[in-house]
Amino acid sequence: MDNISNGLGFGSSSSDPKAAVMNQVRQEAAMTNARQLIEKVNEHCFEKCVPKPGSSLSSGETTCFTQCMEKYMAAWNTVSRQYINRIQQEQGRSS
Amino acid sequence: MDSPSSALEQNIDLSKLSEKDKQELQQFIVNESQKARIQQSVHSLTDICWKKCVTGTIRGGKLDKNEETCAQNCVDRFLDANMTVIKHLDNMRNQS
Repeated sequence: MDNISNGLGFGSSSSDPKAAVMNQVRQEAAMTNARQLIEKVNEHCFEKCVPKPGSSLSSGETTCFTQCMEKYMAAWNTVSRQYINRIQQEQGRSS
Repeated sequence: MDSPSSALEQNIDLSKLSEKDKQELQQFIVNESQKARIQQSVHSLTDICWKKCVTGTIRGGKLDKNEETCAQNCVDRFLDANMTVIKHLDNMRNQS
């Protein structure tokens, strides 16, 4: 079972409990983040790209989906930057 | 194949950690919690601001200038509105 965690770049942990906990926490955070992102991309892009579900996904719908996914991630990055800047500004003000 | 979560359930023996290690771990967890909270907020804000700013059909995989500006404004205005709510709640509480 170490294969999956090793594949993700998290090393084996039996000798260092502190590192093991840190890896576990990081891994869980990464998975949660990925899960939320995928859920939101599916939701928004299905809404936009597949208005009337047919008997298969057309190539147009597939292209729309991949573009939408990239666009959503760009939006996520923009929001993230703006949000973090804002937090830092607020912290600067109160210190 | 084992379920992915089994990697997260291995028994880790923390009983022999030094004081220094324990403190490091404590700080690490505080930091990671804050990062997770921020990520959670970004997910919520992106959800809200996507609905407001990316209307119409998808053309291309980047935000255009209008959408980009809209998203930035959206974040700032949402946080301003949040502040307004909190302040007013405080007023309402003090008046009663």
